[in-house]
Amino acid sequence: MQWSQLKKHKVVSTATADKVGKVDGFLLDPATRSVVGLTLKKTDSGSVVRWSDLVAVGADAVTVPDAAVVLEPDEAQGALADKRGSVLKKLVLDDDGNALGTVKDIDLDPETGALRELLLDTRTVSGDRLLGVGSYAVVVRAD
Amino acid sequence: MRTSEISALPVVTLAGDDIAQVKDIAFSGNGGAVSGFTLAGRGRFAGPLKTGLLWTKVVGLGADAVIVADESALDPVDDVRRAAESADGSGASGGNVLGDQVLTDGGTDLGKVVDVIVQFDNGSSACDVVGYEIEASESLAAKASNASNGTRLLVPLPDTLAVSGEHLMVPASAEGFVSGDLAGFGAAVSAFRAQLDGKP
Repeated sequence: MQWSQLKKHKVVSTATADKVGKVDGFLLDPATRSVVGLTLKKTDSGSVVRWSDLVAVGADAVTVPDAAVVLEPDEAQGALADKRGSVLKKLVLDDDGNALGTVKDIDLDPETGALRELLLDTRTVSGDRLLGVGSYAVVVRAD
Repeated sequence: MRTSEISALPVVTLAGDDIAQVKDIAFSGNGGAVSGFTLAGRGRFAGPLKTGLLWTKVVGLGADAVIVADESALDPVDDVRRAAESADGSGASGGNVLGDQVLTDGGTDLGKVVDVIVQFDNGSSACDVVGYEIEASESLAAKASNASNGTRLLVPLPDTLAVSGEHLMVPASAEGFVSGDLAGFGAAVSAFRAQLDGKP
């Protein structure tokens, strides 16, 4: 599933069927090469839900067991959520020092959150090549 | 790769942070290899840093960045300067050859150095200086087809060469391997060096 399709999905509690928020961003952990959480907006409390707390990521909505899994971000989540940790629109460098393009979108596994691919302007980069995400660039292993 | 293209490249960690940018290239004393880089802070007005980068710590060097493992790859800039001096013990020119006159051992002036060409495999131990880009002298331009006085040409270098403050001495046969552009220059260097080694 591509991020552009997941973005703005509503987040619904399976316990009460209430809408608890709207998907706003994702937390990509370069160490595990997977999306470990979603950031939400328009919630009553908190702004982050861990990927492991999701019930399902569907075509039309993201479901959570109840509104209590939406939490304030802890330090690690906050670091992934800020500008430094985000990958979208960021320059992609390979570890040979050559630029590959900028990240337009990502493709992730809706079951596990694993990063399948980085989608760049003119090419795609397999998720398992990801090495790091920093203030300047996303670094990936060279071909 | 031209060394002028390395100046001002960002130094980026594998974690994706830009921690410095290349200020100058330090050549080992005999001018035969790149020993490292001096660094400046990021941004137009940032000054020079007290840290430098030894070539041995470089993970990758490409058209867009110098990649290092992390910030611990940076060493005090004096270490880089020392490496440049101690590589062959002579500590001659510190490697600044720009503007030097390239003379063949036959006494022909080939031209003035305007850029230094390096060749390396990412992950290898050495960044070899393989040639100079020169502004062709009259005598060289007269011999090379489609070149005129001042045309930029590439001259391959032997593994070692004599450097003084103002002259670089290359074998006369280097003249035969002068090429006009960087594509194919690697092959010219190999052919030139093979010929110096006495191989066909």
